[in-house]
Amino acid sequence: MDSSRRRFLFACLGGVAAVGAGLALYPVYNYLAPNKTGANEEKVSIPESDILPGDAKFFDFRGETGVIVHKKSGELIALSAVCTHLGCIVQWESAKQDFLCPCHGGRYTEDGVVISGPPPRPLGKLPFTVAGGAIIVG
Amino acid sequence: MGILKSVSDWFETRLGIKDLVEKNLTGYLLPRNINFWYSMGSVVLFIFVMQVLTGILLLVYYIPESDKAFGSVVGIMNRVPFGWLIRMCHVVGSSMMVLFVLFHMLSVLFMGSYKRPRELNWLSGFILFTLVQAICLTGYLLPWSQLSFWATTVATNSVGAIPHIGKFLVEFLRGGTLVGPPTLGRFYTLHIAVIPVLLATVIGAHLFFLERIGVSTPPFGLDNTKNRWQGDAFRYEEHPGGIPFFPNYLLRDMTSIAVYFVLLATIVFFFPNLCFTKDAFVQANPFQTPAHIKPEWYFLANYQTLKLFPNEFIGLSIQGAAMTFLALLPFIDRGNEKHPLKRPLFLAAAIGGILLFIALMVWGHYS
Repeated sequence: MDSSRRRFLFACLGGVAAVGAGLALYPVYNYLAPNKTGANEEKVSIPESDILPGDAKFFDFRGETGVIVHKKSGELIALSAVCTHLGCIVQWESAKQDFLCPCHGGRYTEDGVVISGPPPRPLGKLPFTVAGGAIIVG
Repeated sequence: MGILKSVSDWFETRLGIKDLVEKNLTGYLLPRNINFWYSMGSVVLFIFVMQVLTGILLLVYYIPESDKAFGSVVGIMNRVPFGWLIRMCHVVGSSMMVLFVLFHMLSVLFMGSYKRPRELNWLSGFILFTLVQAICLTGYLLPWSQLSFWATTVATNSVGAIPHIGKFLVEFLRGGTLVGPPTLGRFYTLHIAVIPVLLATVIGAHLFFLERIGVSTPPFGLDNTKNRWQGDAFRYEEHPGGIPFFPNYLLRDMTSIAVYFVLLATIVFFFPNLCFTKDAFVQANPFQTPAHIKPEWYFLANYQTLKLFPNEFIGLSIQGAAMTFLALLPFIDRGNEKHPLKRPLFLAAAIGGILLFIALMVWGHYS
């Protein structure tokens, strides 16, 4: 067989093999990829009476952990509870009215602002509304 | 291309790749009259690899607890993207593995390739056949459906017919008196760890025996179809002037694998319920035995044989005797002739056996 014809046929075979591999890998990738369906629409409702002034409540929110703080002043704030340093979940210290990350000692105010330690950024804020005695996050 | 050549030369000077390719691929000569039946073994090996890959993927979402197993399988089928495809490939693949092992076994039988000096090939192949049946039996329970639960109850019950130790064996197999959560734990361990490792090991031995003694010559298109083995010393069966494994017979293997893919895809996409009865879609209920529960097609002949004999032990013994006969066939059939048409006794027994197997299977399905 002419060598240019052979090269062409090998190239076609390589193309078919690449398409076949893609057809096989596409469903496997989608099978293994984390499921994101509906994640951006999910809302969480927490009764206002569940959180006393000076207290905080942790909850699952769209695959991560959130926290609502009921400040002693009466104000409510919803934050991401994921430490901005390396992703540990911060703990609410009701005696000091602040957050402490147990992993590397990062400390945040009740508004999520960094006081000390390695965290590079404040805790992310979560949108919420209050209606009918319930705090609706998201 | 310069870099590729440098890398290739680096490996060549350390591993002698060209020599390996010459010995095992381009210089590995097969008989010129080889036929497509010789690719059945490669198809079975390919199916095994696919079962391992799809099985590993299923492990990501499957939960091996009796109260969660069925739900996890429903989740894989209905919620996980392409979960239905992975699971269906695994389910259909298990039946295909048994089918193609039977094809491979029949081709070896009809072409007399089990005869000496290939007794070890046959014995290792027979062990593989038994392991394939065991992995299918253990995998069947894992979805924890009514079909799974009660088919396993029937299958494990039959062991109880063995005198004296039967009851102990049944309870040991089940992890209790009845099929339950301990049974799932045991069968799960056997299915994903123990039997696949055994299969891989025995496949390795099977391929080693094949490689060591050489491929047998098919008895078709030859004047002399007798077994030429002298029995005095080890001799590798060479095929001078034969066709190279690479690329010629490898292409034939790949063609057979492609045909298998077509068969698999046809069933997965167009006849998905072929492998399921309605009891496969209901979660296991230990207090309710469904009517007409039956094992998978490859166990129907065994199931019907047990129903035929009033004494379960006799039924088991007859099946045991048949399997033992099959396992020891190279030591029983010591004739030199390999061509099936020149072995009338063998041909009659083989065709009779195949027809009996099919008849029992059909009878078992409709009974």
